[in-house]
Amino acid sequence: MNPEFGQNLSVLHLVLQASLPVQVVMALLLGASFMSWWFIFVKWFALKRARRVADRFEREFWAGGDINAMYQRVSAERDSVGEMERIFEAGFREFMKLRRQAGLTVNVVIDGTRRAMRATYQRELDGLESHLSFLATVGSVSPYVGLFGTVWGIMIAFMGLSSVAQATLAQVAPGIAEALIATAMGLFAAIPAVIGYNRYTHDIDRLANRMESFMEEFSNILQRQATKAA
Amino acid sequence: MIAATDAPHFSRPGPNLAAGVLALGVHVAFLLLLVVGVSWQTDHPAPVMVDLWEALPVSPTPPVVEPEPQPEPVPPPPPEPVKSVEPPPPAPPVVPRPAPAPEPLPAPRAADIALEKKKAETARLEKLKALQAAEEKALADAAQAEVEAMKRARDQQLAEQKRRELLRQMEEDELMMRMAEESAASELRQAREAEARLVASRRQAEITRAVGQYRDKISATVRGNTRLPADLKGNPEVRFLVRLLPTGEVTDIRRTQSSGNPAYDEAVERAIRKSSPLPLPADREARAAFVPELSFVHRPKE
Repeated sequence: MNPEFGQNLSVLHLVLQASLPVQVVMALLLGASFMSWWFIFVKWFALKRARRVADRFEREFWAGGDINAMYQRVSAERDSVGEMERIFEAGFREFMKLRRQAGLTVNVVIDGTRRAMRATYQRELDGLESHLSFLATVGSVSPYVGLFGTVWGIMIAFMGLSSVAQATLAQVAPGIAEALIATAMGLFAAIPAVIGYNRYTHDIDRLANRMESFMEEFSNILQRQATKAA
Repeated sequence: MIAATDAPHFSRPGPNLAAGVLALGVHVAFLLLLVVGVSWQTDHPAPVMVDLWEALPVSPTPPVVEPEPQPEPVPPPPPEPVKSVEPPPPAPPVVPRPAPAPEPLPAPRAADIALEKKKAETARLEKLKALQAAEEKALADAAQAEVEAMKRARDQQLAEQKRRELLRQMEEDELMMRMAEESAASELRQAREAEARLVASRRQAEITRAVGQYRDKISATVRGNTRLPADLKGNPEVRFLVRLLPTGEVTDIRRTQSSGNPAYDEAVERAIRKSSPLPLPADREARAAFVPELSFVHRPKE
């Protein structure tokens, strides 16, 4: 009797019966899938918070309050504020410092301020974009890894077929089914990663646009201030 | 000297635990969906008979006879304890017969002798009284003795009865025990038999399946090796008797019925020879269906 006869081809059974390379591939894909889902959720929470904080800050900023008081508040709670607030804080701090030095033209002061703001902006953007490359990698590579596992599994299934005189489908079917699970897992890991990557890249782009606009506008405000004072 | 003051603020969010839990949840949900939703159940039906073969000693699977529920050994109703023989009603106590009344004494005739007579009378009366008392006492004693004897007899009878009853009880107990033992043994035997039957029937089914499977294999092998002549028309049937070694090696082929087309007969015979050794089941009992001789029917088209 064939050993395959009458066996229950449940998914778990297939996974446990798979050959070692296929199992390694499956484990790899499971890990990749888990990590990518982790980062998807991490980024989701982080971006949601960033958007909410940016909204609040913009409302507050354009409400026309005292910029000095706002600066005091933001620098006091640096750890809990959002990206835009940190840009504002860095810019304003630089502006105050440059203002205190005598003999600097308005242009020099504003250029320094903008450089400080841009530096903070880059750093914040870097923080927002962290882990996105992982999502991109999983999204593009894991289908291939899964395919590799499938090819390997099918190879082994057909090698086993070579030793029997009478080739039947029942002799290769379990091997192929188990091998195809690897591809399924690769796709399972890749699809959310690609979707997450695209979505978050877009979200970060929009946030970056907002921050850049804010930087320009804030520079204008500071420039007006500086010319008035000069 | 230029010193870097006011280090920029670095914000590095640590790993988010909630995200990890959610990621785990996604995977668990997917796994459940996969395991519960997709059940790739392969149900191999037992191979069916194809008319390629004939007169194969396929032993039919004996229907699995459920062991009939053994009738509960009804314990015989315990024999009613024999109603103890009513002890004979105690004999009515012997009542001592009242002593006969003393005869009325004749009235004294004369007063003078009255005294004397009276004396004598009293003496006689006294004697009589004593006599009476003695008689009464004797009677009472006799009655007492009788009652006692009866009581003794009854006691003896009772003891005897009790002893007999005890004996009967013991016998009964022994009988019950023996019966219980017997029924337990028979139950065990029946269970064992049923199990053996079940195993045998399962084995039989396995053999039947193996036979069917290998029958298909052999016919497929031969079919694959058959080169049909070009002028073959219709679906003629040719029969062979093939002698096989236990290894599947074909030793002899005898045509039992020609198809009417010699070229076709030849082709099938060649195909059988070419297919040697034929695939045979590893199972000895299943192989018995093919070795040492099998009858082979071939048609060009199914």
